[in-house]
Amino acid sequence: MKHRSLLTAVLIAIVFPAIAPAGAQQASSPAGNVEHGKALYRETGCYECHGLAGQGAPMTGPRVSRTQLPLDAFLNQLRHPVNQMPPYEAAVLSDSDAADIYAYLEQIPAPPGPNSIPLLKLTR
Amino acid sequence: MGKSDRRRFLKGVAAVAGGATVAIPKGTSAQTFRPANGTTALPSAAMQSREREQPAEVERLTTEKTGSDFMVDVCKTLNLDYIAACPGSTFRGLQESFINYGANKHPEWLTCLHEEVSVGMAHGYAKVAGKPMAAIMHGTVGTQHAAMAIYNAYCDRVPIILFTGNAGPLNERRPGVEWFHSVQDGAATVRDFVKWDDYPKSLQHFAESTVRGYALACAEPSGPVFLVADSKLQEDPLAEREARKLRIPRLTMPSQAAGDPNALREAAKMMVAADHPVIIADRYARSQAAMDNLVELAELLHAPVIDNRSRMNMPNTHYLCQSERAGTLIGQADCILSLEPVDLFGQLNSMRDQIERTDMPRTKADAKVISISTHDLFVHSNYQDFQRYVGADLNIAADAQTTLPFLIEAVQREMSASGRNAGEMRGEKLRQAYHDAIDRARTEATFAWDARPISTARLYMELWGQLQKEDWALVSDGDFSSRWPHRLWPLDKHYRFIGGPGGYGVGYQPVAALGAALAHRDAGGRVVINVEGDGEFNMAPHTLWTAAHHRIPYLTIIQNNRAYHQEAMHIQRMANRHNRGVRSAALGTSIDNPNIDYAKIATGYGALGIGPIEDPSDLAEAFRKGIAAVKTGQPVLIDVITQPR
Repeated sequence: MKHRSLLTAVLIAIVFPAIAPAGAQQASSPAGNVEHGKALYRETGCYECHGLAGQGAPMTGPRVSRTQLPLDAFLNQLRHPVNQMPPYEAAVLSDSDAADIYAYLEQIPAPPGPNSIPLLKLTR
Repeated sequence: MGKSDRRRFLKGVAAVAGGATVAIPKGTSAQTFRPANGTTALPSAAMQSREREQPAEVERLTTEKTGSDFMVDVCKTLNLDYIAACPGSTFRGLQESFINYGANKHPEWLTCLHEEVSVGMAHGYAKVAGKPMAAIMHGTVGTQHAAMAIYNAYCDRVPIILFTGNAGPLNERRPGVEWFHSVQDGAATVRDFVKWDDYPKSLQHFAESTVRGYALACAEPSGPVFLVADSKLQEDPLAEREARKLRIPRLTMPSQAAGDPNALREAAKMMVAADHPVIIADRYARSQAAMDNLVELAELLHAPVIDNRSRMNMPNTHYLCQSERAGTLIGQADCILSLEPVDLFGQLNSMRDQIERTDMPRTKADAKVISISTHDLFVHSNYQDFQRYVGADLNIAADAQTTLPFLIEAVQREMSASGRNAGEMRGEKLRQAYHDAIDRARTEATFAWDARPISTARLYMELWGQLQKEDWALVSDGDFSSRWPHRLWPLDKHYRFIGGPGGYGVGYQPVAALGAALAHRDAGGRVVINVEGDGEFNMAPHTLWTAAHHRIPYLTIIQNNRAYHQEAMHIQRMANRHNRGVRSAALGTSIDNPNIDYAKIATGYGALGIGPIEDPSDLAEAFRKGIAAVKTGQPVLIDVITQPR
């Protein structure tokens, strides 16, 4: 982990709007290949900003686990990102691969609610 | 020895490097200087002197009092508890005087294994102790080692008293190494990022400059000052009659600059008239009283506070601490009061890191901005830490901490005069927003709760589970840990947190933590927590030896993502921008293959090492053991394999 440029760290924030609340119901079944999407999520560096489990981080990128974005909007964000997200053009990530990543993210199981985790009852 | 005598002595010593020639007395050859064999009787000092055609005083080999003793006398008049150093011969006289003549008390000598540690620990110490300590560096090379740590302290506006040694006049330098460690202008390497420097040419000069330097370092905006202690001044004998002439000036600490009353009256009008006032606090609070003042002002105005975390400014247990809503609040604000902003432009604008860099305001077009800051009182030219210029509507050049009580009075007067207290209506909404933000953070923490590598949320909450009943202090920032401590832990007192590195020079965290832990130890047994990345730790792992040697207890947790992860994201950005994909982005940024065993490193330096911890269910026991060991006075390191952020 490195502290060389905090400003740049802030600017790396990757914005996927309309993140679903925990446990929200998914709109439709994923069309892509979940296992392939899971592998691609790591290989293509999605995890670097969004975390290995898609949990997100405030200064790099929001949560993408259980995304509620429609696939079209997801693809549009990859190709023409708003704000700081680096672009993923078709040359580095095909529509098909993007759909697989989408499928993986959409089906990640919901986490337990915060009230079911004793340590999360100790917060400020 | 007088100058002429010294010259005569050197005339006989013809050793010259680099092929230059000097006159050698007739009949003398290099063989003249061969050491006597073991069977020859040793010559007396007088015989040696006669042999070398020198007066007897040349063979005066000891003295009772030196210039360095006086230098120690000077330092003892200042409020210095510690001086940290990695040893270097250019300050050998001073070191000996500090530890013997000065009895190694006030200041106490601390041994470091790198000059970056000496300076960096002074940085962390000052932020907790509220006063500077000293560090001393070897001439030239030691200063070069220390440079980045000095830069961090300068950017963070933290006072440190820095000394370096320097060999004396050229005709008295030993051939070879002393020349490499000599310099015309000892401060040149760091002048761009110290507040003041001097090269005293006499002991009286040293006394006045050192006392002046201490006062200047502490005047806001504070910063490191740099003093060259000439080796000849250190080592020359100090005759009694010369010593009697020397005077150490009285240290007078400066009062700090408060804002112009007219400007404060105007600021109060603007804030009271606002429908959506917002306060941003950055490098603001140096004390609990300053925190209390900020709470009072926020309550008076019913204004949310965004704590930008360069210092511990606002208790996050107070509903008006709304840092997590910064974007929304700044976007809605019609009047923003910014206290000691590090980067006012960055607070008010965003910039997009794409091929075309574009910036856009985060504020409404008609939002008023008031800045209270020492920024304009001290700006250097070369290094660009001053950030982009912003023309605030009201720019009050003053120390915000000193100014706030006067601003509070001005606001109270304005509220009485105008009869306006619209703020009360904002209170309930802000309370709800505060609780909503905490709930959101708790929900976010559930994602990846059981993941391996371990999530940073889990790390912090398992730690909190073990820490909550202790009197604790966090000496690292949480920016690269998803800000979990600020989002989930109760940071309710000034000493709970000390802000970040200032200049973002990697290596700040381990060394600043050491100094901060020292100050917390002296303050009385707080459990000190330092969470740092593996990249940070690797810049100064030997810091743990100093901690073990001097019995400075604290718990270091390596947030080990096995990478310079910030840089990995930069490479990813470039690879995407160039349409080449990111599958080799780890090349040059990962710290694996082989994985580093940090627990073993800690053990090697005399600390307790635990880990690597890869299973989140093992964290609680590791933290319990670690905290227990810290409470016995040990430094402890726990290596936790984590998610990137």
